[in-house]
Amino acid sequence: MKLIEALQIANTEAASPDGSCVAALCCGFTPLHLKTFVAAYFRRSFPARAVKVKTGLYGDLAGTIENLDTKVDFVLVAIEWPDLDARLGLRTTGNWGPASLAQIVTDAQAQLLRLQSAIEAVASRPVPVVICPPTLPFPPVFFSRPNEADSLQLNLRRLWNNFAAQLSDHASIALVNPQELDRISPPAARHDARAELASGFPYQLPHTDVVARLLVELAVPRLPKKGLITDLDDTVWLGILGDDGVQGISWDLDHQSQLHATYQQLLNALVESGVLLAVASNNDPSLVAEAFARADLVLNPKYVYPVEASRGPKSEAIKRILQAWNVAPDSLVFVDDNPLELAEVGAAYPGVEGILFPKHDPAAILEFFRTLRDRFGKRRIHDEDRERLASLRQSREFHETVHGAGTLDSVLQGAEGRIKFTYDKIPVDSRALELINKTNQFNLNARRYTEASWSSLLSQDNCWLQIAEYEDRFARLGKISVIGGYREGNRLAVSTWVMSCRAFSRRIEYHCLRELLEHFDATEIEFDFIPTERNGPVRDFLAALTGKLPESATAITAELFREKCPPLYHQKK
Amino acid sequence: MDDNQERLARCFLAVFPRLAKADVLQASQTSVSGWDSVATVTLLTTVEEEFGIQVDLENLDQLTSFDSILRYVKGALGQ
Repeated sequence: MKLIEALQIANTEAASPDGSCVAALCCGFTPLHLKTFVAAYFRRSFPARAVKVKTGLYGDLAGTIENLDTKVDFVLVAIEWPDLDARLGLRTTGNWGPASLAQIVTDAQAQLLRLQSAIEAVASRPVPVVICPPTLPFPPVFFSRPNEADSLQLNLRRLWNNFAAQLSDHASIALVNPQELDRISPPAARHDARAELASGFPYQLPHTDVVARLLVELAVPRLPKKGLITDLDDTVWLGILGDDGVQGISWDLDHQSQLHATYQQLLNALVESGVLLAVASNNDPSLVAEAFARADLVLNPKYVYPVEASRGPKSEAIKRILQAWNVAPDSLVFVDDNPLELAEVGAAYPGVEGILFPKHDPAAILEFFRTLRDRFGKRRIHDEDRERLASLRQSREFHETVHGAGTLDSVLQGAEGRIKFTYDKIPVDSRALELINKTNQFNLNARRYTEASWSSLLSQDNCWLQIAEYEDRFARLGKISVIGGYREGNRLAVSTWVMSCRAFSRRIEYHCLRELLEHFDATEIEFDFIPTERNGPVRDFLAALTGKLPESATAITAELFREKCPPLYHQKK
Repeated sequence: MDDNQERLARCFLAVFPRLAKADVLQASQTSVSGWDSVATVTLLTTVEEEFGIQVDLENLDQLTSFDSILRYVKGALGQ
C-alpha cells in the first residue's frame, strides 16, 4: 500500500457506523506515517466501524503503555532499540566509549522489565496486545568490526528474546514474527536516516506499510480455514497410482520425492491442530486403500476422512466431502497439482480456495507450505481442536444410527448423553469466544466480538453467560454452545447464541434453554435474532418454538417453551 | 489541470480530506486549516512517493502552497 492510498483509506468514513474501534499505537519514535498505515489497515478490517488510532509521547514508550486509556480495543507496540536505551539511536548523543557499553546492556535490561510489566498489565485487562520487535539495525555503537557479532550485541538480543518469549506465553499478547518481517521487508531497506533525523520517523515507507500490516493482521486475525482436501497423485506422493502401481509411487530422498514426505508430515501436523483432512482423487478406491496401507507412509491414514476416490469430476467429490463435514465452501482449501482440476472445482465452488501443488519446484514448495500454515494457523490449540476428527467420525456414526433406528428418540435414549453447564464469566474462556467468532450456522445474529469488547460486555452486572459442554457414547464434543445476554427481573434477553454444527440433532439447544429458564427462574426469553445468509438452523429452531419464521428479534415464554420442548434424555453433570 | 497538477492535487486531497477539489490550486498554508508541520511532512512524503523525487529539506520553508510545490516538482523533474 502506498502512503497516498493509506491516507485515502484512513480518511474514509464508515458507511454506517456500527460501533467504534479504538487502537493505541505505542512507539517511542514519531508515529507519523505508521499511524496512517495502521489506521488504513484497521479501516479495511472494520469497514462499518469508526476507527481511531491514539498515540503517546515521543521518546517514552514505557510511559505511553503505562498510561494507556482503559477504553482501547487493541494495543499495538512497535519497539526499536532506542526505546531500550537512547544511545542506541541517532537522535540522542551519548557515550559510545567501550567503558559505557556494559551500562547500555544493564539499562536495556531494566527498561525491558519495565516494558514487560506495563504490557502484561494491559494484556491482563484483557486487551489484545501486538508487539513488533526491533526492526532497525544497531547504530555503530560497538567497538568490534561490523562483521563480528560481539558479546554486547548478542546480549542485547538475548535480553530481547527472553522478553519476547515470556510475553508470548500470555494469551492476549501476540508478537510479529521477525522471520516473516525479514521475508517481506528486506532489513537493508528499512531505515530512513534522513526522515529519522528530520522528523523522528525512522522507517522507509514500504517498511512502514509492512510493519503496520503485520501488526493489524495479528490484532484482527482472520479466521483459520477448517478443512483441507488434497489430491493424491503427484501431490501426497510422486507418481500416478493407477499407472505406477502401489510400489511405484514414492516419497523419499532416493526417488527425489522427499518433499512429498514433508507434505505428508505437514498434513499430520495440521490434523493434530484441528484441521479436517479429506482426499479427492481420480483413483480406484481399492488401490488407494492399498497405498494407504504401505508401512512407510508418513501420513497417518486414520487422519483422512472421508477418502473420495472415484473417476468423476473433483467437484462431485468436494460436494460429498462438504456434506460429510457440514462446513461452508469458503472454509476449505483444495490442493491439487493439476490446474484444470483446480479450475473445475473453483467454477463449481468459488468459495473454495484452490492451491496448486508445485510438484517439481522445491523453492516453490516451501512457499506452498508457508501458505498452508498461513491459512490454517491459529494462536492456541484447544482440546476441541484435537478431538475434531474423532468427533466428526463419531457424529457420522451417530447419524447413521439415527437413520437405522428410525427415530431420534430411541437413539438419544441410548446415547448416554451428558451435558455440563457453567456460568463463569471470568476468566474469559478463549474457546467460547472462538466459537462465537467462527460459528455461522447456529448463530443468533452473527455478531462478532474482539477480546476487549467481549470482556467489556461480560463485565456488566446484569450480563450472564452460559457455556455448555457435551459428550455421549458416540463422541466427546467439548464446549459446543455459548449463550450470553442480560437479565431484567424474570426476563432474559439473549444477545449471543452460537452452537457448533457438530452438536446438531441431539436436542442440545432445547436442553440449553430449559436449563437457562430453570437456572434464572425466568418466565420469558427474548432472542436478538438477525437473519443472515447462513443462520437458517437457528431460524428454524426459533420457528419450531414460536410457530412462525422469525425475521427479527423474537420472544418465547417459559410456558410455551415447556409445551414445545420435546423429550430430553441427556443427563446433567 | 495538466498531469502534474492532477497528481499533486491527489496528494493534497489525501492529506487534507476536507479541502474542496475546486480550492486545491489556490491551497496554501494560510488558507488550509490543519496545515501544520506534521501535515507538511506528510504532504511532502506523498509528493516524493507520487513523483519519485526527493525533496530537499532545506527548501521546506518555501514549500507552503500548491503553486510553490508544483514549481518545485517540475524543477526536480527537469521540466
